[in-house]
Amino acid sequence: MNASGPNPPGTPQVKALNCPGCGAAFTLRSLSQAVTVVCDHCHSILDAQDPRLTILQKFKAAVDEDPPLIPLGRRGTIRGAAYEVVGFERRTIHVDGVPYSWHEYVLFNPYKGFRYLTEYNGHWNDTSILRSLPTVNNDVSPPTVSYLGETYKHFQTAKAATSFVLGEFPWQVRVGESSDVSDYVSPPRVISSERTGKEITWSMGEYISGRDIWKAFGLEGNPPEPVGVYENQPSPLSAETTTIWAAFAGFMVLLVLMFIGFSSFARNERVFQGTYGFNTNTRGEAPFVTDVFELKGHTSDLELTTSTNVDNKWIYLSYALINQDTGQAQDFGREVSYYHGYDEDGSWSEGGREDSVAIPSVPPGNYYLRVEPESDFGHGTIYYSISAKRDVPQVSFFGIALLALLVPAGLITWRSMNFEHLRWAESDYAPADSSDDDSNGLDRPITLGNMFGKGSDS
Amino acid sequence: MIRNLYVLYGMIVLGTLAMAEYRGWSLNSVDEVKNVPRSVRDNPGSYRSVYNSYHHYTGGK
Repeated sequence: MNASGPNPPGTPQVKALNCPGCGAAFTLRSLSQAVTVVCDHCHSILDAQDPRLTILQKFKAAVDEDPPLIPLGRRGTIRGAAYEVVGFERRTIHVDGVPYSWHEYVLFNPYKGFRYLTEYNGHWNDTSILRSLPTVNNDVSPPTVSYLGETYKHFQTAKAATSFVLGEFPWQVRVGESSDVSDYVSPPRVISSERTGKEITWSMGEYISGRDIWKAFGLEGNPPEPVGVYENQPSPLSAETTTIWAAFAGFMVLLVLMFIGFSSFARNERVFQGTYGFNTNTRGEAPFVTDVFELKGHTSDLELTTSTNVDNKWIYLSYALINQDTGQAQDFGREVSYYHGYDEDGSWSEGGREDSVAIPSVPPGNYYLRVEPESDFGHGTIYYSISAKRDVPQVSFFGIALLALLVPAGLITWRSMNFEHLRWAESDYAPADSSDDDSNGLDRPITLGNMFGKGSDS
Repeated sequence: MIRNLYVLYGMIVLGTLAMAEYRGWSLNSVDEVKNVPRSVRDNPGSYRSVYNSYHHYTGGK
């Protein structure tokens, strides 16, 4: 994209002149299209339309006060056309007495005319003057403008002043002159209006990465890293959010189908049932073993349910599921307790009379249970029944899968929303809690991507 | 890009779910004990469960 080097056809020609203020030689790059030109040496603002180069304004500025990131005279290709950087200005707004500034570069192509690049904190916009007027709607909040079928929301209005100029401009630039500027955004584009007196100029900017600028102009090194979220910076996640929720919906359909499938095709087979009584009035161990039962099919879970008649009591059962063929056991314990009563807060209860546990990945074979009940001494006989079911679908896994699918989609949506929150935090419509902070990383209220063109289409 | 990653991630989640359901995985943990003697059927008290020393809740409000 770099077009620096020998002049290809269509690139600007230059004209050598001398500054009437300091006598220094300078070049006029946009020739008759320049309205004002600023001397690089003494910063006198000259009338480029006057053959005598009348001094319009003198202002004091160090040559290196605000060096442009793209040097004047540098050529590059923007949207397929060669442009030369002919002018550079700094514009400033004051918020609570604090000045905030951004930079604007004037680009010129003898056939295409002028276009502009703006830069603030590493955020760039490629801007040109609108050739037709947008439609303004002030009856909604925030107000909008419509242009070529696209609606732009009002972002911010402020008074901007020119604080530094260099090179050539297609309007009569003055340091210190100010205008009211309003930005309307529809990322990655922004439409800006600049009002000076009765004249309004409309321009449209499109967000462009610093890397693309560096590539287009063949600049060395790296562009400044963007800081914070800019008013028309496209969200990297907004487009993804919709497609991710579409994918999530697809996964939900699959999840439901899987649930129906596993619920329908699981064996869910009762393989053992027994009812027992534990006399707590007798001391000593009371372990026993059940009859042998067969587990068929592939390796799957075994759900063991213990139902009791405990009432303000507990019973603890040490279980061992023992494979009679291999001598391998799965050892676990379950407590069943149920307490209830009445106090000053009303009735209460804790626990329950039933407990279920899923023993994971039990291979097929012949099994029996070793059961050892325990409880407090002297509470009479506690009756309990044990029921075992083979290959029972675990609903909890479906819940976990649902969460596992939901959390990333939610996080991406949250990040996208947060991006928009940071964008609008510095607008005229910032939420109350973000009006004075620097939450979007920019150290000023963003505004005013593009304000140019006095004397252009109005 | 993110969508593709999410789709890949979702397929892994559903694949893991299918495996968990088919193989009978469980959130409950049990202790594996090997070489339980056959005499346990005749003398259940000879087997010592690791859960015998469990501290039981004797609560209520």
